[in-house]
Amino acid sequence: MRRLVLALLAATAGLAPVYWLVTIALKTEVDQFAQPPQWLFHPTFEHFQALLGNRSMEQALWNSVIAAVGSTICALAAGVPAAYALNSLPWPAGWADRIGFWILSNRLLPPIVTIVPLFLMLRDLHLLNSIWSLTAVYTAFHLPFVVWMMRGFLAEVPPEIEEAARLDGASSWGVLWSIVLPLVRPGLAATAAFCVIAAWNEFLFALILTQTGAASTLPVGIASRVTQYEIKWGVMAAGGVLAMLPVLLFAGLTQRYLVRGLSLGAVKG
Amino acid sequence: MKSFWWVAPAVSVLAVMSLYPLAFLVLSGFHSSSGEWTLQNFTRMASDRMLGEALWHTALFVTVALTLELLFGLVLALLIDSVRRGRGLLRTTIMVPMLLPPVVAAVVWRLIYNPQFGLLNGTLRAFGADPSALTWTNGEGGALWSVIAVDVWEWTPFVFLLVSAALQSLPQEALEAARVDGASRWRVFFDIELPLLKPVLLLAAMLRGIDLIRVFDQVFMLTQGGPGFATETISLYIYRTAFRFFDFGYAAAMSILLLIIATFLARRLARQLRPQA
Repeated sequence: MRRLVLALLAATAGLAPVYWLVTIALKTEVDQFAQPPQWLFHPTFEHFQALLGNRSMEQALWNSVIAAVGSTICALAAGVPAAYALNSLPWPAGWADRIGFWILSNRLLPPIVTIVPLFLMLRDLHLLNSIWSLTAVYTAFHLPFVVWMMRGFLAEVPPEIEEAARLDGASSWGVLWSIVLPLVRPGLAATAAFCVIAAWNEFLFALILTQTGAASTLPVGIASRVTQYEIKWGVMAAGGVLAMLPVLLFAGLTQRYLVRGLSLGAVKG
Repeated sequence: MKSFWWVAPAVSVLAVMSLYPLAFLVLSGFHSSSGEWTLQNFTRMASDRMLGEALWHTALFVTVALTLELLFGLVLALLIDSVRRGRGLLRTTIMVPMLLPPVVAAVVWRLIYNPQFGLLNGTLRAFGADPSALTWTNGEGGALWSVIAVDVWEWTPFVFLLVSAALQSLPQEALEAARVDGASRWRVFFDIELPLLKPVLLLAAMLRGIDLIRVFDQVFMLTQGGPGFATETISLYIYRTAFRFFDFGYAAAMSILLLIIATFLARRLARQLRPQA
């Protein structure tokens, strides 16, 4: 019993700040600044209306969706065949490990280290401030993770199944597409969900590579609101709620795979 | 040779987005702004007091946050593991802070830390205390610790998650046998469980360490490195050097330094991991 109380306390400590964010998003300005702080109040949706009526926020929301979905599709399209090839196709001795390790080692690069050259490269190519360049950068960012995760999932497919299909005359591509992929569908879905979350949460690349409102994403939109209109707590909090809802939804859908995915720091931007 | 075509798209994307930047870094780190080869950017680091401070803040951040996250995560995992009912639900709720976009987590804590209207000082006032001396992220003395506290709140769940998973795969018979033999709960923990958990704790330390050494989002959103220079970390300093002062050569040199430190630490931890794994 004592333990259950302690555990509930810990869960509360984790959730209370998030609940506080939600209350600020739903409070009138008078209630927001009320002393002592109010945990119960009459909700209002004025801040959400103000937020969604704002053209630049709406644009940021769409940009976030494009970057998250687009980069995930590209990363899966490039990463899954690579993972399959590294696992199941013939390689000169040692090369599968070498390539696999090199792909994974890209994950160790601190983003701030690659950002300066990427910024200058995109500037010289006149590709700054475009949601499509950001999508391309996110694709590269996801790739090590996709290859790592999918190699794990693909390794669980019994090799006999592949062998049988191959003896029936299927090409490697046919084996992957119509035999193996349907078997790892849950893993594929989980990998995709993690990529979506990571791109959705990402801040540093978006901050630097998209400096105009037309190309910036939701986190950057919220951040600029924080520094510019400190007083507009309600709108800022409403933005936070809006940014957090899809992530929680996606995480809920993929609960079973959370450990494997998160252990590579997938969610962190 | 056909196999290479399968990895070609992935490898070429990564080459453009990470090999090219690395080559570029080395080149621009060793060039002056007028385009001659020079070691100036590196010698300048030795006498840069701001860089020293940023490195010191980063070291403090990594050490303190990592220690607390490992400790709390371990305790929390043991606690939840011993609860019988509602374990799944508890686990899910505990994970929420880690899933939030870092920007949103920072917004949450701005609402809490604000000295005039924030939840913390407001609550203290409601209990009759005078919190006017408590400025949290706004005061030089407490700012770094306040930002570290946010990171601990956000990422303790990550350690919790890894340790929880490891706890479920511990050999229950050994633990049971020790208990039947009359070993105290503490003896079982320190002599059996903890050594078995060592690999997962090292793994958690490595993955968190990699992220902590590059910490940016929370600091940028909560304090922008301030007040003054009190919370400037190495990532923020590189950001400022490149995108506020447009000194790309020096930013490149510092990036190389950060890369070397990060690789060195990751390797040391990885080596410790291997014998047990």
